Amino acid sequence: MTSSCEVQVRQEPGAAVLSLSGEVDGSAAGPLTAAYGQAVRTGDGLRVILDFADVDYINSTGIALIVSVLAKARAEGRSVVASCLTDHYRHIFDITRLSDFIQLYTDTADALAEAHANFSG
Amino acid sequence: MSSTAAAGALARFSLPSEPGNERLALRRVAEAVVDLGLSTDQLERLKTAVAEATMNAIEHGNGNRADVPVEIEVRQAGRQVVVEISDSGGDRAARAAAEEPDLALKLDGLQRPRGWGLFLIRNMVDDMDVASDGERHTVRLAMRVAGEAEKKGGRS
Repeated sequence: MTSSCEVQVRQEPGAAVLSLSGEVDGSAAGPLTAAYGQAVRTGDGLRVILDFADVDYINSTGIALIVSVLAKARAEGRSVVASCLTDHYRHIFDITRLSDFIQLYTDTADALAEAHANFSG
Repeated sequence: MSSTAAAGALARFSLPSEPGNERLALRRVAEAVVDLGLSTDQLERLKTAVAEATMNAIEHGNGNRADVPVEIEVRQAGRQVVVEISDSGGDRAARAAAEEPDLALKLDGLQRPRGWGLFLIRNMVDDMDVASDGERHTVRLAMRVAGEAEKKGGRS
């Protein structure tokens, strides 16, 4: 059985939005790494927003990939936030303590509004 | 994927040990328990536990060998739903005592990023145990079926 994950990158003032879709599992390694690289290479913001609106499955390998992105971002002085997680995956972000390091937003617009404010302020 | 009816079981089926087949497992288990009254939150947690245990069986138990099946049985035992996931990985009970994942250590590079599977399983269900007869390795997951009052109260 094959699986798939796609990641689209959108640059906004103060932030890059990585919109993930499909399944965040082992198949996400390539797309997520490439998208993160593109985001920090072409963007001017210090905030990376992971948008999970179109994600229907995250497994332990996907959690590990998110940990890797977070570690890399922190080493580069960037913050990572997440939006649109379901209640179930918010719970998983809580018990793994990812939510101690990744601020969670109900929707991407809120995460962007804060990034815009910080960028222009 | 094969499937056989079993007296007393809600479902019993086997899957080829191919990466990604854990999603077939979680779907089949979700279908089997649809009439048991699990809350949405309980069902999501059971699906995650089943997926992680099946991933372990496919990868660590059966070494991703498609011709070696993972066998899954779902049954109701009193007020619990029980899912047993078996592979041919023999006695590897020591894996259950694997290092506890610590996010701060992982972010500092002192633990590898992976290693969340057993942690997730333990935190998703009410009870989990591992048994082995030297050939078969079985993970047993149990979740209490919430009564109406508990379901109205949300997470149990």
